Amino acid sequence: MKHLKNYILLTAIVLGFMSCSSDDSNPVANNVTLEFTNTFGDTPITLGAANATEATVNTSDAGQVHHFEELKYVISNIRLIKADGTEIPYNVNDLDNGATVINQANTETLSYVLSDIPTGDYTEIKFGLGVRSDLNTLDQVSFPAFYENAGSNETAMHWEWGTGYRFTKIEGFYDTDNKELSFHSGSTLAEDEDGNYIQGVDAYRDVSLSLSTTAVVGSNAPRIAIKADFDYLLSGNSHTITLVTTDDISNNATPSAHTATEMMKFVDNIGGNGSDDTSGMFSILAVEN
Amino acid sequence: MKLFIKTLVLVLVLTACTQDDNTTLMAYNNPEITLEIPTDFPELNDAVYNNTPTEYGVALGEKLFFDTRLSADNSISCSSCHIQESAFADHNPKAIGIEGRIGLRNAPPVQNMAFMQVYNWDGNKLQLEDQPLVPIITHEEMDSSILEVMEKLEEDEAYIELFNLAFEGEGITADGIYNSIAQFEYTLISANSKYDKVKRNEGATFTASEAQGYAIFQDKCSSCHSTELFTDQSYRNIGFPINPNTEETGRARITGLAEDYMRFRVPSLRNIEHTTPYGSFGQFTTLEALLDYLDSGVLEADNLDPILKDNNNRIPLTAQEKTDLIAFMKTLSDVEFLGLND
Repeated sequence: MKHLKNYILLTAIVLGFMSCSSDDSNPVANNVTLEFTNTFGDTPITLGAANATEATVNTSDAGQVHHFEELKYVISNIRLIKADGTEIPYNVNDLDNGATVINQANTETLSYVLSDIPTGDYTEIKFGLGVRSDLNTLDQVSFPAFYENAGSNETAMHWEWGTGYRFTKIEGFYDTDNKELSFHSGSTLAEDEDGNYIQGVDAYRDVSLSLSTTAVVGSNAPRIAIKADFDYLLSGNSHTITLVTTDDISNNATPSAHTATEMMKFVDNIGGNGSDDTSGMFSILAVEN
Repeated sequence: MKLFIKTLVLVLVLTACTQDDNTTLMAYNNPEITLEIPTDFPELNDAVYNNTPTEYGVALGEKLFFDTRLSADNSISCSSCHIQESAFADHNPKAIGIEGRIGLRNAPPVQNMAFMQVYNWDGNKLQLEDQPLVPIITHEEMDSSILEVMEKLEEDEAYIELFNLAFEGEGITADGIYNSIAQFEYTLISANSKYDKVKRNEGATFTASEAQGYAIFQDKCSSCHSTELFTDQSYRNIGFPINPNTEETGRARITGLAEDYMRFRVPSLRNIEHTTPYGSFGQFTTLEALLDYLDSGVLEADNLDPILKDNNNRIPLTAQEKTDLIAFMKTLSDVEFLGLND
């Protein structure tokens, strides 16, 4: 009896190894690592407090100097597209395994590993800035890990009153006297009983980027370096924004955290306008195979 | 031999499982509760038909409504800010959550919710079932999370049984929490005030002052405070003092439209006598102060309501008219609903 057991175990182990070695010679899948570099133009951003000398200072098209103390955004709904047009979705309906919060203050979060991407030649990547409306419900039961990560004190990406996630959270300073700059984005859509969105704004933006070099997944695990140029926040394709402190909300964008009336200008600048601009502030820096 | 015993055990376990499955098919007797729609009330929110109140659903929702375990430190419940004697509102200018944290706005009364099409000061929710999560997770309110609440409830046998009875054996679920609280709130219908009894010819009559007040109300107030809910559920900027909190933009926070800046949903006037202070952040402590403000002139704004704009930014009222209006508004108090009878 014992001998038989051992024999079966041994067979199983051998079979296991065999399947492994066949994988190695001709892998059906491999990892793809996304690396985000947050910049002002070509300069990677260094965060800093109001008077921090090390902070990277940018000047907007309207001539306003500004720098950031905090910089976070959500990436989700990632899809890789093969040369033949086949789209490979990466856990697009699972925030726990398919979404992440990029936090400039935490280097680890700047890389996001997509595991088990099928072997193939990829020429395009698509992803969402923010969370798709159907998943943006702060559903802790379905996605406890993402909920926890996004809601931690360090991250603070829950938008409680809207029962959704913050898509972007930027805190910083502008003008030479370092006035407070605070920008939060998120969706405010509300459903009727049939699940139709009949009010509110959708701040989710679908971004698509052609890869400068084909990413060859197979024996290689490619690295895709993505630039997020936050110069676009105030000086984007859609709007040139002048920050003002006045209470008059019609007088261009205020740095108020929750002024939905102005929020969408920033959203269109960094995430694209959802029609002809589908890249916003994002571009491909490099693809390494 | 060992293997044989293991197999035998396995077979027995499987058999047991099958038997369990059969026994869980027992029927739950959980009768629906018919909501009595008061005379001339508007139609129900369609969401009610997807979450029809049941005997155990309402009982569960009521138990949850009064349960402090919904808050992170077990210190406050829904009923801490939604107090029956105050038409399920409270008397704080702005809601107070755990550790004395102060929220953005005045806690709204919870009454006649089944007939409302939009909820909260800015109408951010269109279905009542979507609302309970907001106070549970909001930092200035209960500062908990739905899983944390569910874990606490799991330790309580009475809850497990009640959830099973209310939702056909599904046990404790997040949706069960949201739906049962909404079901309980749907049953909170206030339609037995003196006003209602006068309208229904049930023997009550207005005093001279109340009748005069009702006439003034119909002339100067009822275009916004319309229907038997005493709100047309529209959003309007009526030039009230502005909340200094920079998060406050009124309805614009939801729609992103400049025209909705500092617009708020017209509040119901039912039980108004018992819901002081008034305004989105409790600007007015008395009805007299509120009427004095409307009389003397409100704040100018681009999107100030046309009714005010066309009247020099005010609703002119004489001292006598104010007295009569307040007398009328007090006829909207429903002592039975408030639990204040004898």
